[in-house]
Amino acid sequence: MNQLSTIPQFVWRIADVIVGGVFIYAGAIKVLDPVQFANDIDNYKILPWTIGVGLAFYLPWLEIFCGLALILRLLYLGGLSILTALLAVFLGATIAAKIRGLDITCGCFGHASQHWNFSVHLALDLLLLVALISLLLRSERVFRSA
Amino acid sequence: MVRQVLIVAALAFVPGLGQAIYFRDKVSWQSPVPASEMVTVAQARAWGGNAIWVDARPDNEFARDHVPGALSLNEDRWNELLPQFLAAWSQEKKVVVYCSSQSCNASREVARRLRNEAQLKNVFVLEGGWEEWLRTNR
Amino acid sequence: MKTHIFAFTLSIIICMTARAELKWDQTSIELHPTAADKQAIGHFKYQNSGSKPVRFKSVRTSCGCTAAQSQKEEVPPGEKGEITATFNIGERTGTQVKTVTVETDDPEHATTVLTLKAVIPQQLEITPTFVFWGQGEAPKPKTIVVRAAKDFPVKHLRVTSSSPDFQAKVEETGNGQFKIDVQPQDTKRPIASTLTIQTEDSPKIFYATARITNAPAIQ
Repeated sequence: MNQLSTIPQFVWRIADVIVGGVFIYAGAIKVLDPVQFANDIDNYKILPWTIGVGLAFYLPWLEIFCGLALILRLLYLGGLSILTALLAVFLGATIAAKIRGLDITCGCFGHASQHWNFSVHLALDLLLLVALISLLLRSERVFRSA
Repeated sequence: MVRQVLIVAALAFVPGLGQAIYFRDKVSWQSPVPASEMVTVAQARAWGGNAIWVDARPDNEFARDHVPGALSLNEDRWNELLPQFLAAWSQEKKVVVYCSSQSCNASREVARRLRNEAQLKNVFVLEGGWEEWLRTNR
Repeated sequence: MKTHIFAFTLSIIICMTARAELKWDQTSIELHPTAADKQAIGHFKYQNSGSKPVRFKSVRTSCGCTAAQSQKEEVPPGEKGEITATFNIGERTGTQVKTVTVETDDPEHATTVLTLKAVIPQQLEITPTFVFWGQGEAPKPKTIVVRAAKDFPVKHLRVTSSSPDFQAKVEETGNGQFKIDVQPQDTKRPIASTLTIQTEDSPKIFYATARITNAPAIQ
């Protein structure tokens, strides 16, 4: 973990802004069509429909606020932890869906992302995950040593 | 950190709740299709002569068999079939659209077009479709 | 698609020990047919990257308007193929989503849902496509608003009524928008007219209906 402290401050800030921006974008797209998002959640066949609807209204705003937290550095740790937890849960749900042979057509980026090919998505998502975990580890160190 | 998590979670809840209230008519919390747009076979039959039955299935399926008195209105020949449907329609009628089964989408599409394009009120989708009608009638 | 990516990665890692594996190039295809196209065809390509042959048990479509063909019933290891989904557009409008459910004997991926999304160009948006008067209702004009799509500029709209009992007057309201005022001569009998709406550059014909309904209108 000592390598993290050799990375200059402004790089972390850029990471904050980019990751925060991605989640604000993802959240905004879903805010525009909550009914579609509710259907996408339902496609995973993990949660009952009613809970899916509740999440469809709530999660996008959560993403937006957490993204803002990252960019504005307000309630930073809170936002970061929530996003990491969300991504982890989402990963688990996707593994479960794949094992069950379900084909999920849309998720995080709503129907806007249907044009992208697999490798682009793959790269973006792995990068997000790495960024989130690094930011989390780094800020925990910073806050613990502060 | 926990305090921050709770604050962010609570903050997000406010617009989320606002949106849920704003969209309350557009989505049903009980089922994927808005309850106000679905009708059971029993309910539709209870409407008697007040109901117009619409078969949204392709021509060959309609020709094979259909609900007695039902009119064919599908998306393959929408422009051709719509006028004769409208000739039978009047404002107090309730339109019941069906296709093969619960999972078939044609009835929802036809119902949507009748509501949005022709701007008709009282357009319903038959729960269970043709399969359900057969089951309860034969 | 984020889900597809994660699923794809994990399937590579987890399923490396699997014996049968049908890999799809894409399980979701978006098509943009032109206004003149009668069909939209999606080619779902796959490859058997496992060591056991994969057999297709069934290929079902979500509606009668889409036909799906599989070139072969059994796919030997290493072989490629495709499922061709042909969607008959008919007189559908807007964005149409049709699915093809493929069942194979691969125990890890028994069911795959292929999604074909066809964005049918909407040249004119006509609201409403149906205007009516109840018998005895005052024969006042009713308005139909026609909006041209952004990539379909319309200079002039021609509207003809199939029945002389209904009059249709077109007025341009600017920004690619027109209004059609429809008026019946009287509302004594249950008569109807089909309004044919055409633009000067497209051969495509759009329709609206005007009629006097059977029962008195609910006021």
